[in-house]
Amino acid sequence: MPIEIPTLNVIALAPQIVVVVTALVVMALDISLTDKRVVGYVSLLGLAAAAVVTFALLGGPAQAIQQMAVSDGYALVLNLVFIVTAALAILVALGYLDERELQHGEYYALLLFSTAGMMLMAAATDLIVVFMGLEIMSVALYILAAFNHRQVGSGEAGMKYFILGAFASAFFLYGVALLYGATGSTNLHAIGEWFSPDRGNLGDPLALVGLGLLLIGFAFKVAAVPFQWWTPDVYHGAPTSVTAFMSVGAKAAGFAALVRILMVSFDQAFTLDWQLVLAVLAVLTMTVGNIAALAQKDVKRMLAYSSVAHAGYILVGVVPATMTGVKGVLFYLMAYAFMNIGAFAVIAVLEHRDAIGTALSDYAGLSTRKPFLALAMAVFMFSLTGIPPFVGFWGKLYVFRAAVEANMSWLAVVGVINSAISAFYYLSVVVQMYMRTPTDETAAAPALRLSGPVVVTLALALVATVVLGLWPTPLVNLTALGIFG
Amino acid sequence: MPNFDPSQIPLVSIVFWVMTVFTLGGALGVVTSRNLFHAALYLILSFFGVTGYYVLLSAGFLAMVQLMVYAGAIAILILFAIMFSRRPMAHESQANQQWWLSLLLALALFVVLVVVVGAVNWPVSDAAPAADTVTQLGVALLGSYLIPFEVVAVLLSVAMIGAIFLAREKTEAEE
Amino acid sequence: MINQVPVSYYLLLGAILFSIGAGGVLIRRNAIVILMCVEMMMNAVNLTFIAFSRYLDSATGQIFVFMVMAVAAVEVAIGLALLVELNRHKQTVNIDEINSLKG
Repeated sequence: MPIEIPTLNVIALAPQIVVVVTALVVMALDISLTDKRVVGYVSLLGLAAAAVVTFALLGGPAQAIQQMAVSDGYALVLNLVFIVTAALAILVALGYLDERELQHGEYYALLLFSTAGMMLMAAATDLIVVFMGLEIMSVALYILAAFNHRQVGSGEAGMKYFILGAFASAFFLYGVALLYGATGSTNLHAIGEWFSPDRGNLGDPLALVGLGLLLIGFAFKVAAVPFQWWTPDVYHGAPTSVTAFMSVGAKAAGFAALVRILMVSFDQAFTLDWQLVLAVLAVLTMTVGNIAALAQKDVKRMLAYSSVAHAGYILVGVVPATMTGVKGVLFYLMAYAFMNIGAFAVIAVLEHRDAIGTALSDYAGLSTRKPFLALAMAVFMFSLTGIPPFVGFWGKLYVFRAAVEANMSWLAVVGVINSAISAFYYLSVVVQMYMRTPTDETAAAPALRLSGPVVVTLALALVATVVLGLWPTPLVNLTALGIFG
Repeated sequence: MPNFDPSQIPLVSIVFWVMTVFTLGGALGVVTSRNLFHAALYLILSFFGVTGYYVLLSAGFLAMVQLMVYAGAIAILILFAIMFSRRPMAHESQANQQWWLSLLLALALFVVLVVVVGAVNWPVSDAAPAADTVTQLGVALLGSYLIPFEVVAVLLSVAMIGAIFLAREKTEAEE
Repeated sequence: MINQVPVSYYLLLGAILFSIGAGGVLIRRNAIVILMCVEMMMNAVNLTFIAFSRYLDSATGQIFVFMVMAVAAVEVAIGLALLVELNRHKQTVNIDEINSLKG
């Protein structure tokens, strides 16, 4: 039988291809270059090219490739989120890896591959592609988490993340298998078709258990309750530049695929019962994350728990399953990329070579030692709390508004209460920096060095957090393009 | 590869039950055995059992792949991993402290899955198995499933880069 | 003749194998055993896919199994590399002795 190679609409995956090609170029350069920082800058160039391609496609008609992936507005806006995340994370890494003599070309290649996996998850319209994207992203992250071979903690973080990730993948796969059995397809649109009311398949137990198992897989990836317990250990043990990347990127990618699956395939099947389950999960995720974060004495662990809470806030935008909610989620993810990576960049500066300097007490009197650093951290903390006029405020406003519009005001109220709880631990960092005098230990600590790339990261994140907070219109307009094609 | 026609085998159900003993016995062996080597051998037994089901389900090609990839490559890799670790025969308890909770969770999962899956009342397909599954698979992989097929290449290169990076001796490391 | 073994038997077997694997992951401490249990879960998924594929008479399930096998091989390779990396620092493969992070 002759095999006909199908014609492929490659344009649909152009941004992903640019990123993968950059990763391959990076690997090739890694062999010939001795200064690995150049490799990092080349990666940034590649990401810029991917951003250009994404912008060129944005606003145009949705391009599909073989019913496997689509470059609609939703995927393209998310591409921008991933590109921003990866670019900021590379900037952090340029300084962070230098100080620890960990500058290896593989770091940037793996980070780019991981980004390509995330972009693939956002674009995928077939569960098989969602799964492949998920695996590319995760496998690269397992290795990145274990990247610091001089620290036991890093290898342990990689191992823990790997075992739990593989476990979660198995659940995801079993969910896909049951959905396939019930609906006869793994295509998101075909599954959506199968659920249409006239087919009378609503409430099919096999498909619903499949969805449940799928949700378990995603809950692991985005660190939602009750599958959040790995977060603090992994985030704390991984190199800070990696933690910054995965706390935003993996979460955004998990939500990207989850939201598309819920909106495209389970639009009809997404009944009140399921919404209630997700709403309860959102409440638990927010509350557990915030209360656990309150007890932390280490800023890196505190931010790990707070990232659990943020997964809860984002879930609030997912629960209504409306376009308002989707746009809110997109806005939130972009805002979270700037403020969270900014906060981790500050941690990366304060952390000494042997992974100390992340305790809350190490921040005492930072305002007198490094005023710019303290100011940046304070802004990120305010923004993460959701205090106006920073961008985090608008992110929360948009997701909570979606809940209110869907007659789930109680969910928004719980979200606001949780934001108030989170103020305690976020602001305690600010109090340490501005109202405490440096302890003897912090005074004796080695002088803080702000490398060029880190200053650029902080400046970019700071400007974005403040400017988009004062004038969110551009970002609102951008997320308005995030429609399904 | 000639396609396997299960209807030629008498007593398909006997084969099925033998395979079941292999698969589930092997699986339980992996979970309960204290010796890592034994666990790995049980795992191979379990893989063999599953291979038998593939043949019964007329997926002969995948059965071969299963045999080579799982029982061959993966099991060998795991045996390597065991030899790398220092204590293949641990004498302390092999279960963690919350084992009863874990057992409860696993049982709950088991009950949910069995109830849902067992309730499936499938119209038994009388259609003959596809004449040539290998051709069918090949055409599908290079046709409508070309994208995932290409994406696997990316995944494999990530794994290669990562595994080499992690396992190689870092010459510049002052350990 | 094939009808002697109804599809639900294969599905039940898949469910049982998956639960045993999941239980093993949750109960056992040794990282290698946990890895084996994850592989068992993947096998259960593959069996489920092939059973559905046979009875739906569609190739998608078999393609998926192909991909899962590739992923399983990748995961074992990465798992082994991580174990080697960890073994340089410590001589344990017990997951709950991996605890220098607690604090």
